[in-house]
Amino acid sequence: MDGSRGGVDRVFAALGDAGRRSLVEAVATRGTATATELAAELPVTRQAVAKQLSALADAGLLRATRAGRETRYEVTPAPLEEAVEWMVSVGAAWDERLAALRRSLAKRT
Amino acid sequence: MSVERMKVEREIVVPEEPGEVWESLTDPERLEEWFASDVELDARPGGEGVFRWGDGDERRAVVRELEEAERLVLDWDDGGSVAIELEPVVDGTRVHVVESSPDFAPAFEMRACAWTALAAA
Repeated sequence: MDGSRGGVDRVFAALGDAGRRSLVEAVATRGTATATELAAELPVTRQAVAKQLSALADAGLLRATRAGRETRYEVTPAPLEEAVEWMVSVGAAWDERLAALRRSLAKRT
Repeated sequence: MSVERMKVEREIVVPEEPGEVWESLTDPERLEEWFASDVELDARPGGEGVFRWGDGDERRAVVRELEEAERLVLDWDDGGSVAIELEPVVDGTRVHVVESSPDFAPAFEMRACAWTALAAA
């Protein structure tokens, strides 16, 4: 259907935004996360992270639960699961490989 | 490039020169030190590669692009790809990796409306 096709394109347009993508990836990697935790490890302000997380939750891609004064987020499962699993496992594989590349190069010099 | 793809990007700076890093990207014996446990690679455009890991995983690839000491692009047999670019910097070489996923389009259809709202936000 043309309508759903356009929707899917927008899904990927949204995930094409590096900031949103890295947020979804960061939340998925940690399991759950708050804006404060994520802002500590990403080069963006807590306010900017909180706004994006809230938008992602409004869209149904993250689940929000109140934890004291903070809101804690986790990635909702299907149908994002396959793509998010890919992103997290491939990201982790490259982290390991690049660390191994660094060691391999250092060994030679 | 299709829009129905996810991407993972990573970047590191290593102290070695691009030429030295390039050897690690294209020489099968060097690739076995960091990329996979068993590597065959015909490092030229159109050349084929087989990468095997200790857990039994095996991936086949074709070299789509190769510019010595600058850029290597492999197309995986599952439809994904990986581009590795080298750039000389003051303190060595910047290694930039972009891996693109195979198509996931069908898995996304159900959530399309939610994302439409997000994309418009």
